[in-house]
Amino acid sequence: MRKPNTPVIGLEIHVQMKTGSKLFCACSTDYIGAVPNTNVCPVCLGLPGTLPVVNRKAVEYAVRTGLALGSRIGLSTRFHRKNYFYPDLPKAYQISQYDVPLAVGGHLPIGEEQDRKWIRITRLHLEEDAGKLVHSARDGRLGNSEYSLVDYNRGGVPLMEIVSEPELATPSEARDFVSRLRQLVRFLGVSDGDMEKGSLRVDANISLTGPDGELGTKVEVKNMNSLRALERALEYEIARQQECLGRGERILQETRHWDDGKGVTCGTRGKEEAHDYRYFPDPDLPPLVLSRDFVEEQRRLLPELPWDLKERFVREHRLSIEDASVLTELPGIAKYYEKCIREGANPLRAANWIRTEVMRVLNEKRISIEAFALSPEKFCGLLARIETGAVSTTLAKELFEKMVDENLSVDEALKKAGSPSGKVTGDDLRKMVNLVLERERLTVEEIQTGKDAKGKKRSFLCGLVMRESKGQADPGEVRKILAEILDR
Amino acid sequence: MNAVEIVKAVKDARIPATEITGKAIERIRQVDSEVRALLTPLFERALEKAAEIDRKIEHNQDPGPLAGVPVVVKDNLCMRGLKTTCGSRMLENWCPPYDASVIRFLEEAGAVVLGKTNMDEFAMGSSTENSAFFPTANPWDRERVPGGSSGGSAAAVACGYAPLALGSDTGGSIRQPAAFCGVYGLKPTYGLVSRFGLVAFASSLDQVGPFSRSVEDLALALNVLSRPDPADATSSRRKRPDYTACLGKDDLKGLKVGVVTEFENYPVQPEIREALAKIEAILRGAGAEFVPVSLPATIEAGLPCYYILAPAEASSNLARYDGVRYGISAKAENLMDLYMKTRGLGFGPEVKRRILTGTYVLSSGYYDAYYLVAQKARIRISREFREAFLHADLLLMPTTPTLPFRKGEHQDDPIQMYLSDVFTLPVNLAGLPGLSLNAGYSSSGLPVGVQFVGPKWGEETLLAAAEAVERVLGKPACALGGD
Repeated sequence: MRKPNTPVIGLEIHVQMKTGSKLFCACSTDYIGAVPNTNVCPVCLGLPGTLPVVNRKAVEYAVRTGLALGSRIGLSTRFHRKNYFYPDLPKAYQISQYDVPLAVGGHLPIGEEQDRKWIRITRLHLEEDAGKLVHSARDGRLGNSEYSLVDYNRGGVPLMEIVSEPELATPSEARDFVSRLRQLVRFLGVSDGDMEKGSLRVDANISLTGPDGELGTKVEVKNMNSLRALERALEYEIARQQECLGRGERILQETRHWDDGKGVTCGTRGKEEAHDYRYFPDPDLPPLVLSRDFVEEQRRLLPELPWDLKERFVREHRLSIEDASVLTELPGIAKYYEKCIREGANPLRAANWIRTEVMRVLNEKRISIEAFALSPEKFCGLLARIETGAVSTTLAKELFEKMVDENLSVDEALKKAGSPSGKVTGDDLRKMVNLVLERERLTVEEIQTGKDAKGKKRSFLCGLVMRESKGQADPGEVRKILAEILDR
Repeated sequence: MNAVEIVKAVKDARIPATEITGKAIERIRQVDSEVRALLTPLFERALEKAAEIDRKIEHNQDPGPLAGVPVVVKDNLCMRGLKTTCGSRMLENWCPPYDASVIRFLEEAGAVVLGKTNMDEFAMGSSTENSAFFPTANPWDRERVPGGSSGGSAAAVACGYAPLALGSDTGGSIRQPAAFCGVYGLKPTYGLVSRFGLVAFASSLDQVGPFSRSVEDLALALNVLSRPDPADATSSRRKRPDYTACLGKDDLKGLKVGVVTEFENYPVQPEIREALAKIEAILRGAGAEFVPVSLPATIEAGLPCYYILAPAEASSNLARYDGVRYGISAKAENLMDLYMKTRGLGFGPEVKRRILTGTYVLSSGYYDAYYLVAQKARIRISREFREAFLHADLLLMPTTPTLPFRKGEHQDDPIQMYLSDVFTLPVNLAGLPGLSLNAGYSSSGLPVGVQFVGPKWGEETLLAAAEAVERVLGKPACALGGD
């Protein structure tokens, strides 16, 4: 039993899948920036006589997502038609799943290990996206527009609708849920999960429990285009409903739109008609029958799930939960980090450098890790020099700047840099080298008696000099001076 | 000449395809002003296509299994860049940017399309009187209807415009006009022929099929039409036989023909009863045995079941005609006004009636009482047929309860019009193949048809039985003095 006046939140999330082609035809799904009505064909325009054929890849992606959520995959499901008139819906019905969705049940973990909460999933189903209307009115609303334009490029793009049970208790939990789901679809490679671009869209159902803990009237909130907007909209809506109830008013069951600029939700003032979608099974599509082998194949293709990966990073690499969270937020970053570990990088140093330096550069350049030019191998070359002390942290950051643009190795960066800003050189450097050699007489002796076939000891000395110079010397010059003295 | 003879003559370079086409055009010019079977003639295009066939012959290239055969096609089959009206104001000037798969199959096989034929608007009707443009006459009595909805195609074959025509059959729209016009009409098993490019009426019932005046032409056409089609998810992937291979058998020994006991008491005109008896005698003479079968639910529930499910699907299929993208678009004040005016102007009364019925039976609160009950009845009907086919290889049934009726006779009484399909529509509900054939003529000279119904994928049995009848009765005659 819930306590009185507790928010009860459930989410409906539409995820666009990056299948390359649409759900029922071969048109491209890449509509961002495309000239309106160019990614269209007779099928997605719903021209008379055309028929839909299900995109296998969309089914694979949705099944994989269902499996990752621990849902039960329906081996025989079907498509329904959801009928309503609107200019962005060319057939005047949306092909969707209704009574028998592709996946049922499952759960998604939110919160950290110590206070982890598993939010149950109600269902996951496949459906097609609609086109987009552009209204001529200044306020962008249909009612005030002289004319409206329609672009069908988005029409027919595959969507997964994922519905949660109403088990989220706070706006921040709702935010966490969406953020975990977004992370999941990115790890599965089934969607870019970009809320701003609309490839992940969230509708929230929210109500407050009554005096006896019974469920209150729910309100649907739409139009939140970021995690922040979702959290703000829900905070606003909870306060609004509390005030309403405080004044002794009843909550109206309605759909409200979040206005991000004004920071309020607006009701549709009861204008909205009650829709009767007249769902019925789409006779153009036979039941979607999946074999157990197909489902098992999709299970085999699942990557390590992000929350498992995070725990493994904490366990295996002794990372803090915070470090592990940041490194597992995006699959590309996690992969980059793992490559660094395979290159022998110090796990903590690599984590620290990726979190600060690499991610800073990505932010500055507004690029993804996939577009980051510096290979993990070369990046680890730099980390190794820091590890041995051959390069100071200060110099390393300087070198890193040079390396990132053109995928340079440390040595190439050093060469490009020329003499390292002329800090310690010439006689000053020679003095420093002599100082180090005096301290390391034993090593010098070993080198001079031929016990350094691989040159490791020489490198060690070089590193010591570099450390002594606080990275202000040119390693090339150090080696030259060392050679002069040692080979004399 | 029938299609098989034309193909032979063209392939042997005895008669050029252009000459065949020219003669067919001449015949159409001679009689179409009386019959009005064509909505859109495509004569110039046809002559060009025929010339292509002749060039292929000249260059020793394979011109295909339907080389030079003139065909006419129902106007709900899309042809790229050509008007496809569905007999409706709504699509009066609409030209699809693609060919229906069956049109592509026909033309790849060397067939020459002479024109698009008249039909009841969106294939809804049994008389071709619901065409938004003009009615088509029955070639045997111009005061009477040719049947429908593929009335234009049936009439065209009956008067020798072409040896082959395409129609579509949702509840009898090929078989009923075939019976009324005295030709063969085959509704294939659901899933045998692609629906891609057939403008949908009721998707789970629609099937494209051929008309002809000889059984071998029907088989030849089916060979070309029945290709599996990846663009239609309901197209079966099973391997197709050569439908001409089942022909030329000496007898029908071992064939079990079922007669539906419930039809004994159903009101059917005496000429049709006599025709059934005549066909039974012919089949018995060829060695077939007769067994009684029972289809109680089919007779009781078929018609209401059909008139719930077909309008339900139609209400959704026809919702796309909203004036936004193609077809007519009314001048309007706002969006709702655009929808109301466009659909008000674009659709005729029968189409509106079915959209209203279909919308009603799918509405919340009524879905369970109508749509769901009808779906259950459909499953029962299918099961009943399946059980009947445990005892029989094919069923002999009337195609229609009456001979061709007069124009206007049923226009004010939709139920009487719907009853015209009482023997054909259960076959669509069960997804089975049905073949209507001519069994002779009434005393007043009207064609009398009967129907063979087979189990799923049983087209070969239907064709073999029809051929046995043809051997005795001869090929159906050509109307209006044609040959």
